[in-house]
Amino acid sequence: MEKLQSVGQLEWLRNKILAGMDKAESVVQVCMTGCRAYGSKEVKEALEKEVKQRGLSEQVEVRGTGCHGFCAKAPVIAVEPAGIQYQEVNPEDAAEIVDRTLKNNQLIDRLAYRDPQTEKPIFYRTHIPFYAKQEKRVLAKCGRIDPIRIEHYIAAGGYQAIVRALSKMTPKDVVQEVTSAGLRGRGGAGFPTGLKWRFAREAEGHPKYVICNGDEGDPGAFMDRAILEGDPHAVLEGMLIGAHAIGAEHGYIYVREEYPIAVEHLAIALNQMTELGLLGENILGTGFNFDLTMKMGAGAFVCGEETALMASIEGKRGMPKARPPFPAQRGLDGKPTNINNVETWANIPLIIKNGASWYKQVGTEQSKGTKIFSLAGKVNNTGLVEVPIGISIRDVVFEIGGGIPGGRKFKAVQMGGPSGGCVPVQFLNLAIDYDTIQRIGAIMGSGGMVVMDENNCVVEIARFFLSFTQSESCGKCAPCRLGTTQLLEILTRITRGEGRLADIDSIRELGETITESSLCGLGQTVAKPALSTLKYFLSEYEDHILENRCAGATCDSMVISACQHSCPAGIDVPNYIAAVAVGEYARAVEIIRERNPFPGVCGRICIHPCEFKCRRGELDEPVAIRALKRFAADWYYDHIGFAERPFPVTHDHKVAVVGAGPAGLTCGYYLTKMGYKVVVYEAQPVAGGMLGITVPEFRLPRETILEEVRYLESCGVEIRYNSPIDARHTVNDLMAEGYGAVFIAAGAQSSLRLGIPGEEEGLKGIYHGLQFLTDIRAGKETELKGRVVVVGGGNVAIDVARTAMRVGAGDVQIFYRRTIEEMPAWEKDIEEAIEEGVVINPLWAPKRILHDHGEIIGIEFARSRTVFDEEGNSHLGVDEKRTQTVDAEAIIISIGQAPDVSFLSKDRQLERALWGSLAVDENSLSTNIPGIFAGGDFTSGPSTVIKAIASGRRAAIAIHNYLQGDKGRVEIPDEKTSMQVDLGLALDDEKAEEKPRVVVKMEKPEERIADFREVEKGFVENQAMEEALRCLRCDLERDRR
Amino acid sequence: MKPKEIDWNRLSSIISRYRDRKWALIPLLQEIQDTFGYIPRESIEPVAEGLNLFPSQVQGVITFYAGFSLEPKGKYVVRLCRGTACHVKGARSIQRLMKKELGLDEGQTSTDFQFTLETVACLGACFLAPAMMVNRTYFGKLSPAKVVSVLSQYRKEEGEH
Repeated sequence: MEKLQSVGQLEWLRNKILAGMDKAESVVQVCMTGCRAYGSKEVKEALEKEVKQRGLSEQVEVRGTGCHGFCAKAPVIAVEPAGIQYQEVNPEDAAEIVDRTLKNNQLIDRLAYRDPQTEKPIFYRTHIPFYAKQEKRVLAKCGRIDPIRIEHYIAAGGYQAIVRALSKMTPKDVVQEVTSAGLRGRGGAGFPTGLKWRFAREAEGHPKYVICNGDEGDPGAFMDRAILEGDPHAVLEGMLIGAHAIGAEHGYIYVREEYPIAVEHLAIALNQMTELGLLGENILGTGFNFDLTMKMGAGAFVCGEETALMASIEGKRGMPKARPPFPAQRGLDGKPTNINNVETWANIPLIIKNGASWYKQVGTEQSKGTKIFSLAGKVNNTGLVEVPIGISIRDVVFEIGGGIPGGRKFKAVQMGGPSGGCVPVQFLNLAIDYDTIQRIGAIMGSGGMVVMDENNCVVEIARFFLSFTQSESCGKCAPCRLGTTQLLEILTRITRGEGRLADIDSIRELGETITESSLCGLGQTVAKPALSTLKYFLSEYEDHILENRCAGATCDSMVISACQHSCPAGIDVPNYIAAVAVGEYARAVEIIRERNPFPGVCGRICIHPCEFKCRRGELDEPVAIRALKRFAADWYYDHIGFAERPFPVTHDHKVAVVGAGPAGLTCGYYLTKMGYKVVVYEAQPVAGGMLGITVPEFRLPRETILEEVRYLESCGVEIRYNSPIDARHTVNDLMAEGYGAVFIAAGAQSSLRLGIPGEEEGLKGIYHGLQFLTDIRAGKETELKGRVVVVGGGNVAIDVARTAMRVGAGDVQIFYRRTIEEMPAWEKDIEEAIEEGVVINPLWAPKRILHDHGEIIGIEFARSRTVFDEEGNSHLGVDEKRTQTVDAEAIIISIGQAPDVSFLSKDRQLERALWGSLAVDENSLSTNIPGIFAGGDFTSGPSTVIKAIASGRRAAIAIHNYLQGDKGRVEIPDEKTSMQVDLGLALDDEKAEEKPRVVVKMEKPEERIADFREVEKGFVENQAMEEALRCLRCDLERDRR
Repeated sequence: MKPKEIDWNRLSSIISRYRDRKWALIPLLQEIQDTFGYIPRESIEPVAEGLNLFPSQVQGVITFYAGFSLEPKGKYVVRLCRGTACHVKGARSIQRLMKKELGLDEGQTSTDFQFTLETVACLGACFLAPAMMVNRTYFGKLSPAKVVSVLSQYRKEEGEH
């Protein structure tokens, strides 16, 4: 290439290139940067070979490009101008792509992106949701041009901005244009770029320098890498413009050596610029002189700090200096220096070429333009995204990012890496800009967004960041050097289960001190990850310290296996799964019963937190733990059923339990096992509590409950039926009768009311959820017809709707005031209800019930509307103008339950909680009166069976401690069963290929709604054994560490 | 296999190219490291002399930056990413497996100078998490199976030589 002597020659070159490029009919763009780790190089070579073999070299150009953004589906290729995207392409696919798509315009189904819901292929990039909400400005060329060919950049309009700046604008105009565009520094701090330039421009001194900070060290960030690799000339053109504006003659671009492709592409780009005369003396004949040198970092995070970076360029240890003086006054070599981040520089050509007013069209009042984020962690569509500033975090994580894999729950997104903080779920609707994110304790940062789900532990994340910053702290100033060490020590202690409550205050105090007194940006922000997780997840810190519990089930010292740790009852899951695998089903049941005496019930209706944490789920699908539990329990009751003999009574104390639900019976069982005589008082003629009276037969057959209760009775638990505790027989009376302790577990069985007109008027056709289910379970004749409207979104509402289908309703409509995703009901039940024909209408809030002559005719709803406050918190309001009236012959109100405490009328000395139940100590479940304990749904409000069971066992241990005079805290650590089944199963086989989970058979929807038969069929023996073998035995890994 | 004997001629020719150049220390050290795989202690004094620095200044820079090593490294340098994205996606268990497979702790080099195990702050390959690099090649979405197969690939390459 010949040196360009004038601005006109550059235009001439552009036209020449464009004329030459028109020949190819289609271009296949293959990502040769990020996708290289997935073999995109081989894909490109294969495509080139196939194109050549078919003699299509004239018509088809196979082009290596930068990152397309959709890294989750690498290697990604695009066929232009058709706009087709193919993903996860192998070299073997090349022939088919050439033959079918390039020669015959056919689409290849198997290489297309699939809509995650419908599984339908989406061929065109503009239709893929990942791209649809993005606004590609800075990244417009990345992934389309070949970054190592300057002609491509020029053909795409590159270097037009420097031409404009040199030929039509004074340096002052350029600074003005950047200022009025409102561009703020993309490195994280968000300082107005134009202002920074003005300072450097007006500073006295010669020569002046411009620097590009490409030391992208934040773990979790890869935006700058992608720009440098995919469109290096955009950054370099930005620097040329900046140098012209500021009056700098020398420039440095500092890039991490860990980015070999970026280094390579920059080196090529710099050579090309020099050849064309875009660097050096008298650039484009305008008299502008500028040289640019690349410097490679040598692996020090602190060099991302501007003063440290300059020290590193000067060949010194990369230690920061106090500011002021700022680099604009005394920077590199003591001369005025302007330093901007890669992405900031890449924005400059856009502003100069298109003007500030164009640039400002996008963004918020305070922050203009777009921002690039690297989306990583627990999100489906990991990759590089560019969005208008002001878009909500929810849009980025869920719309573009496609949400969390494996149906797990979102916990937080970490923004700004080790200098940032976490953004928890309540701020998902917050608009992303510098100021809002700062307000909630995180920072926009350079753009790394790492998504965390429920399986991540925030304390461990804070510890992780501190261990990073501690080792990267340069050591120059004491607050950072010593403070990070102390913080790390405290956080490590907490994750090891050796924390103290006082540690929480120490973190806060230390954090504030480090923030205020550190020398540079690194130290001033190191405490953020700890402070922000502490702010939003205090209870997780407390759980680590007090209860030895890690919500993410990741902290080694307290977790044997994630499944066991996430089970509220702490069942040794891997060992009973192994027992099933070897056909020892009775042993499996024994292992379960160490923590949970209801294997048959939980095998059917447990919400199985264990499966969401199962590590197999990271590989393919979680082990079907719940279904295996059911299989073992069913086998047990078919073959054994009873305890050989009751547990012997070895203690003098007797204990009374009020309520024979899961919590009460569990407490009774463990106390009996410990040798106490226990009597359970039950008001109803049957045991089982909420299980027996409200969970419909088709989910939990009565026989299963009876089998479990009979077993408990055979162990020595005495249940007195039809024996209510009330004004005639009070808790005080029980104590007087010689019981050493009483456990009250009376459930939460009074239905909440809506409080709307028409509800309390004794109308025919109005039912309340629990009562309705109870009546049907008790066999009371209830016949529905026509349309039935169910109001509510919880488990009971779904049970009510499905039951209504089975007692004659023609059409069941659920109305819920929030979205379907927000329904508290179990997802599986919602799906089954929809299969059965139940219709769910989200976002409608009931207004009044319509009636005529004492009979219901319908119900009026108003549209719910989510209102956000300043912090992005959502509140539910209604739009009174948007209403609809629904005809109905029956309305079942099922919006929640509360404990009924009326039976305690005479026991007034018991302290009540604010919401009506008894106040208890969370750890020991003891009330204000010694010897009286309460738990289960009764004190927690409606919850899950497994939590009620856990509460019952906790009560048993607390009562035992109390009776033995032990005043310490109740400690329930995870323990391995004494009945270990050490198969060493799949652990070494983890290398083995995927093996999907065995599917549990279900009754057909159209048949099952005719009666109350059980919907789920359970495993047969060979299925159970096969499924049990999928367990990876994480519990054994601990011994091997 | 032993690390290469230091080629003094080569070293002095590298140093002479940087002699008296401004701010040349880091690029010079990078070239030495690229050439020899590490920075031989014996090169500290000649480097200092060539750039008109004190040996302590050279030593200070070498020990400040994680990218420089005074110890010889293996033929294959395995760099495990310990970035956030990799961390939340289970890099810890990959690290455990890698240590077990190579029989090395972080920062160690095998006695036959085949493998060095290192961890690095972030490879900027978060979309590939958990990720690692072997020399200049990236490997992503690591599972225990993949770790084993990648390593065996490098071991095999060695066997063929």
